[in-house]
Amino acid sequence: MSAVTRSIDGEPVTTKLAMKMEDSMQAFAVRAACFIGELDVPYSEEFDGHDFGATHVIAYVGDEPVGAVRVRWFQSFAMPERLAVIQRFRGHNIGQLLLERCRQLAEARGCNMLYAQVLPPDIKYWEKQGWRRLVPEEMSNGAKHIVAMVRAVDPTKPLPAVEAPEAIVLRREQQLDASGRPLGTVSN
Amino acid sequence: MDAFIPASGSNRPVVTIKLASTSDELMQCFALRSAVYIGEQQCPYAEEFDGNDYTASHLILYVDGEPASCMRLRWFGTFVKFERAVILKRYRSMGLFVPFTQWAMEFARKKGYSRVYLHSQHRLWPIMERQGFRKVSEQIFNFSDHEYGAYYIDLAVDAKTAPTMHTDPLVLNRPEDRLDMPGILERSAERGATNPHAEWTERRAN
Repeated sequence: MSAVTRSIDGEPVTTKLAMKMEDSMQAFAVRAACFIGELDVPYSEEFDGHDFGATHVIAYVGDEPVGAVRVRWFQSFAMPERLAVIQRFRGHNIGQLLLERCRQLAEARGCNMLYAQVLPPDIKYWEKQGWRRLVPEEMSNGAKHIVAMVRAVDPTKPLPAVEAPEAIVLRREQQLDASGRPLGTVSN
Repeated sequence: MDAFIPASGSNRPVVTIKLASTSDELMQCFALRSAVYIGEQQCPYAEEFDGNDYTASHLILYVDGEPASCMRLRWFGTFVKFERAVILKRYRSMGLFVPFTQWAMEFARKKGYSRVYLHSQHRLWPIMERQGFRKVSEQIFNFSDHEYGAYYIDLAVDAKTAPTMHTDPLVLNRPEDRLDMPGILERSAERGATNPHAEWTERRAN
């Protein structure tokens, strides 16, 4: 892994968990800037109903909130998603810093697997940080718009071989108020 | 009341404007402003969320139910200040800005405000002037990397309906974007005055 930036123009780069309303607000502002402002994602898709069942991590340069990621917790894995860094602060590995904070968080909770859904152009970015495809490329259907990737929380304990077909773990969760149990269990 | 800007054809999008009155709607305003000011215009977070958001009224505009535009209104003694107006990029060619500003002016007028004041980015001056806004002075000032001029417009307040101290008290309790419709507290008035706390005082004396 490449060295992680600790300061930009003399301002320290830090991460913290959202603990207060204003912290969450900052995470939401960063995501709205990147996903709604830059990538034209509709509000209703970006704020999908999972934000109050998740943990939010925010990255700061000095006092300025510049990055955010959300972690959702499942019984057999933790799922970082909605990773965003404000455009003019990119290129300083702030995303890597956020994902490392997610890894530490998962470790502290006794979780041994990280799972993410990644867009094909971003696969290399995640691979550089120690992630691999849940299903080897040659076995997966090339038409997929998102790719499931996994990473061991503790790299000295490699993940066991995965049997879950990609189609199952990529399925969307049930409606939040439906009686169905949430899907997304990766069986190893 | 939600305002539906009349659509001339059946497949025109439905545009709705309302006063943001729930935390969800407020959150949508903040997301829109983050998208445009922080995402597009590189505004720092602390300048965008400047401490005045919880002393203001926020208006939100939806296109087919999707948050598309918002505006913040702050109420001063003799005027209301319109600020932080944004339209999401994908909705910008729809001509939403003028009807939204008109809706906001009508909202302020019904609330009894006779003057609107705003800081307009230089590139928007012709649009403001076409709507009847006048320059407060020739002064040009800068903040958050843009050039601004102060504009105002006078509103014709209806002395009969504008809220005063002598307006029916329960009219003043109505939701502010629906001052002409009965509000929830008027329905509560039908229950009469049971003064539910009065007995509690007596119990405490025992």
